[in-house]
Parts: sequence; structure tokens; C-alpha cells
Amino acid sequence: MENNVSHALLFLEEEVQYICLAFMALMYVIKISLLLKKPVPPEKAELKGDRVAGAFESLLNVLKPWSMESTRKNTYFYVEFLIFHIAVVLTIGATFLIPLTPQFMTPAVTQLFMIFMGLAFLIGLRRIHRRFTVPEIRIISSPDDFFAIILMTVFFATGFVALYFWLNKMPETAWMWIFFLMTTFFLLYVPFSKISHYILYPFGRVNFGRTFGGRGVTNTKAKSSDWNPTL
Amino acid sequence: MSEKAEKLGAEKERQWPTKTEFTPEMLAEMEKLLPSKLNRVVAASLAGCIHCGMCSDACHYSVSIPEDKTLVPAYKADKFRKWYKSRYDWMAKVFPSFVGAEPLTKELAEEMYDKLFGGCTMCRRCTVNCPMGVDYGMMVRAARSMMQQVGRVPQHLQDTVDTHYNAGNNMAVPQDEMIETIEWIEEELQDEEGCENFKIPVDKKGARYFLTLNPREPKYYPLTIQATAKVLNAAGVDFTISSRYWDLTNYALFNGNDPDAKLFSQWQVDDVKRLGCEYLLAGECGHGYRALRWELPNWVGGVPFKITSVLELFAKLILEKRIKLDKSVWDGTRFTYHDSCNIARSGGIWKEPRIVINAAANDFVEMEHHGPESFCCGGGGGALAMPEFTPRRIAAGKIKADEIRATGANVCLQSCHNCTDQLKEIIEHYHIDAKVMNLAELLSPALVL
Ligand code: SF4
Ligand code: SF4
Repeated sequence: MENNVSHALLFLEEEVQYICLAFMALMYVIKISLLLKKPVPPEKAELKGDRVAGAFESLLNVLKPWSMESTRKNTYFYVEFLIFHIAVVLTIGATFLIPLTPQFMTPAVTQLFMIFMGLAFLIGLRRIHRRFTVPEIRIISSPDDFFAIILMTVFFATGFVALYFWLNKMPETAWMWIFFLMTTFFLLYVPFSKISHYILYPFGRVNFGRTFGGRGVTNTKAKSSDWNPTL
Repeated sequence: MSEKAEKLGAEKERQWPTKTEFTPEMLAEMEKLLPSKLNRVVAASLAGCIHCGMCSDACHYSVSIPEDKTLVPAYKADKFRKWYKSRYDWMAKVFPSFVGAEPLTKELAEEMYDKLFGGCTMCRRCTVNCPMGVDYGMMVRAARSMMQQVGRVPQHLQDTVDTHYNAGNNMAVPQDEMIETIEWIEEELQDEEGCENFKIPVDKKGARYFLTLNPREPKYYPLTIQATAKVLNAAGVDFTISSRYWDLTNYALFNGNDPDAKLFSQWQVDDVKRLGCEYLLAGECGHGYRALRWELPNWVGGVPFKITSVLELFAKLILEKRIKLDKSVWDGTRFTYHDSCNIARSGGIWKEPRIVINAAANDFVEMEHHGPESFCCGGGGGALAMPEFTPRRIAAGKIKADEIRATGANVCLQSCHNCTDQLKEIIEHYHIDAKVMNLAELLSPALVL
């Protein structure tokens, strides 16, 4: 596939994105360094498990729906989560692939991306409905929560339609313009929004894994029968 | 027995000044304290919640009282988070209400008090069900600690800490009374068949295990001390009870006062060193175990001895065949076991109690949720020391009561004195026909001497 578009759209797809991406990266560097500056609670107790292994296991928690009751008993919710986040990766990927390596966006690849975007759009609609109607979700929701999911859902829809035209050899459409304008907005907005939770995920998971892994709750590596009765 | 009882606890007595409502000065003080409470775990827990709601089904409050949506974990934590965001969230600097940020007002602080003292037992069941790893134990304790610092703390909870501070144990059991109680329990133990030579040594220098107790034991449940001592004697365990800092509880874990937590820990560390024991041995007490095993070394900067629990020791004695048990004494009795949150989920001990129970009884049925996934009984986090929240505490125990009932057990075993009291209350309240016992009480009658 070829990205035969106007100079203006190319400028939006490339230079504007790079500048915004640099801004996003800078914000993340600041955010991460602020968190890294915070003191880590000490652990001087004799461990029953392994804090490092616990942290690694915990980081992979996202791929282990059986590890938490909340995902174990809500398989449907977990599958939705998985598809939604794969779609996020693919949609972001598309914003790079289209201007940089358009030849990679073959009809088959484009269709695969569209399937995920379409499913993520439907999941987004369900999540919006859930946030508005399930009382325990509504009560904890701030405008940012609503805005973030609505924005993502619209983004998937826009991406889906833009790729539909791309598939039909129409790389420059109003949809593609909206898609890249939204990408630009995301790059500027996400560091300030809850959508940036993926930056905090490793912190939360590592903290969890170090605590519960070290205590032998999620990880039992105790070499002494004092701490492991089966030895 | 010593001639004259020692004055234990702090030299100068104190009564922490408590307040019944927040004043502007208190709020200003809390604003000053906030940055010092934000370690990496607390900060990540405050910033990391994505309001996914996956913790809603994890909390015994929100599951037992589904009509009150303000008891879902994220809502409760948000009372603290809103304030945090108003100080640290970038977007909140421009659009505070967009991200749910709120400055610390009297109303917000009162809600924080209501939800984080009276609506959370810091059991961390939501934490193990949270995809983001939000640590409610650490986060809620940080919030409590600031409220306590300015005097807004449940009176009875603070009294418990003050008593510990003033008397060296949380029920102000005087040293001479404690020694007399132990001597009396020893006599009772020696009256049991086959136990004539059993001893409960007090202040035995060089004993291997320094056995600690919950003050409720000498005060109200001396038979649990007798049962524990019987098992240890039967196995030939070299142990002692101190006449000084034998109280393993540390309610400063619950009110969040670090200097007190550290002080109580230091007394105990010095006492173990005084007697030259190899192990500090936690009796059957949930938060006490966690405070000794996992928090004390951090509060005092490391210890030169090992710390363990009678649950680990009992399991070891059974696996090493150092005690012989006759299961038939419990024939006709069905048991279930309630895992204290601080022992299992926050402490890593849940296999050991099962080793003990299966060695002593034939009919053991697990509750639907057990081990690290067990629901809190509702008595944790100092909840029993907050009478102003009693109706909510009893209501929150419903899920546990339902699970006990479903097992058809006649006896609900547990290893914690807070759990004991809460389980007894909910069993009565929800009309369940079961008794509550600890593991030493299970083992003691089954011992073959
Ligand atoms: S599960 Fe975790 S991230 Fe989700 S609402 Fe609860 S605390 Fe927040
Ligand atoms: S720590 Fe326990 S009591 Fe507190 S919100 Fe979480 S599940 Fe509920």
C-alpha cells in the first residue's frame, strides 16, 4: 500500500506527531522520575519468598487471569480487556506504520487491525454503558474516566473508518485527518489523564510483587523448614 | 516471682489528645504531613487507581452491604485520593473537578475518617484483586496516621495504644498479676492427666523460644495459654514467657503512629535480647504476627534473632513427629478454618494451619474463600476497638457468616484474638450453630501423652 497524501497530511502524520511524541516522552520522564524519587519502604524481615521473582511474577499478572479472583470469575471482562488493549497497541502502531512503512499495511494487516479496532469500539461502547449504569462504577467515576473511555471509543471508530478507506486505496480522507488529529491530541493529553496508567502499572505491580513475593504469599522460595513446612 | 512489680512501658505516662471533629488547624497540620507519608508504595497506590471497579466484589464491606455503594474500596480510597490529587495531580492544577480532585476540607476529612477508620479493615483483599496493585494496607495506614497525628482517631483505638504506651501491654496487666496468672495456669496444666511435669517458664534465660501472648489471653482466655503450653511441653519445646514485654499486639499498626509502633517493637526486641532467645515466637494473633514478623524488623532496623509463629512451629512439630495426636477425640465434630488476613494474605501462613488441622481432625471443610483469598471476618484493622462503627462491623461480617454456615461446621477454627471476638459476635448475630476455637485448643485434647 502507498501513502499518497498531501504535504499537509504528511506533515501532520510525521513532524507534528514527532514533536508531540517528544513532549509526551518528556512528561513521562518527569512523572517516572518523580515517583522514583520517593523512598521505597525498607524490608529487613527475613524473607519467606523472593522479592525479585515476586516482582516479575506480578508484572506478568496482566497475562494471568487465573491469578486474581476478580479476573478468574469474570472471564468475559478479562477477554474484553485483552482485546481492548491489543487494539490500543495496534491503533498506535497504525499511526506509525501508515507514514513510515506504508508497505507493511497490506490489506491483510489492515483488515486485522480493523477487526481489533471494531471490536474495541464495541467494547468501548459497553464500557461507557457500564460506567453510566452500574452504580458501584458510576459512584467512583470522575469526568476524566468518562472522557477517557469515550475518547478511546471514538478513536477506534475513527481509526476503523480511516483504515477502511485506506484499504480501498484512499489514504487521504477526512477520516484519516481526524484520526491523526486525534492522535496528536492524545499525545498531548494522555500524560495528564488516567490513560497514562500504563506508566504506573509497573510501579504498582512491582510494589505488590516485592511485598507479597517476599512474604511468600505469591512466591514461596523459602529454603528453611522454619518458613516452609514441606521442606 | 519478683519481689516488686516493675513499672513497664514509657517512663512518663501520656494520654493522646483526641478530637471529635476536624478543625482548620488540624487540616493545616495534615497538609504539612502529607508529603512525608508518600513513599513509593503509597504514592503509586494513590496515583495508580484507574477506577475499573474490579475491587468491588473483593471487599467484605461492599459484598456484605451491597446497598451502600460508598463502601466499595475505590470510593473509600478516593476520599484520600481526592485530596492527594488536589496537591499532586497535574491536571488537577487546571481542572480539579475533571479528575475528581478536592482540597482537604472538614467535610472531606470527616468522610475520610468514616471510610478509612470505620469502613476498611486494611485486609488487602482488594489489593490482591486489583490489576494495578493498589496497596490498601499501606495507603489506608498512611491516611490514618495523619488523622491520628492531629488527634482525629477513634477514642478506644487510641486508648488501647496509650495503655500499651503507659503500661507495656495493651490491657495494663501489671507484671505481678501476669506472673501470678502464669503460675496459676501452670498449676492448672499440671493437674491435667499426663502433664504433671509440664512447665510454663517465666523469664528463662537462654530459652529457645520467646513466646508472646495477646493480653486477652491472660485476661479472658487463660485456657488458650494452657493449651499452647501443653502442646509445647508435649513436644519438648524449650520456651519461656517474659514477665516484661510478652504482649505481641501493636495497635499502632492500626492507628498509624510510627513512633509508637517502633517503641513497642523496641521494647520487645530488647526483652528477647535480655533473655537471649533464638526465636521470637508469635502466639495466635493475626495483626500481632504481622507486626512482629513483617513490620518489627523494619521499624527497628533489623533484629539479631528469628521471628516465627506458633502456627509454623505447630506444623513443624507435627511434620517432625514430635507430637502424637489422636484424631478420634474430635470424631463427630466438623471443623472449618478462618484465615486471619494478617496471617495468610499479609503474612504468608495458610498451609501450616491446614497441616495442623488435618493432623488433629478427620472432618475439615474449607470455606468457599480461604487461604490468601479468604474474606476478612470484619474484626481486623482495629475495628473491634472502634465501638462507634459496631453496626457496620457486624453487617460487614455477613459474607463470612454465610461461608461458615455453608460448611456445616460445628467449630470455626482461627488463630487470632480479634477474629475470635468478631467470629463469636457474627456467629451469634447470624444464628449459626458453631463454636469458635483456636488451633492450640484443637491440638491440646488430641495430644497423646
Ligand atoms: S481494582 Fe484497583 S484500579 Fe480498579 S478500582 Fe479498585 S483499586 Fe482502583
Ligand atoms: S483493604 Fe479490605 S476492608 Fe479495606 S477496602 Fe480493601 S477489601 Fe475492603
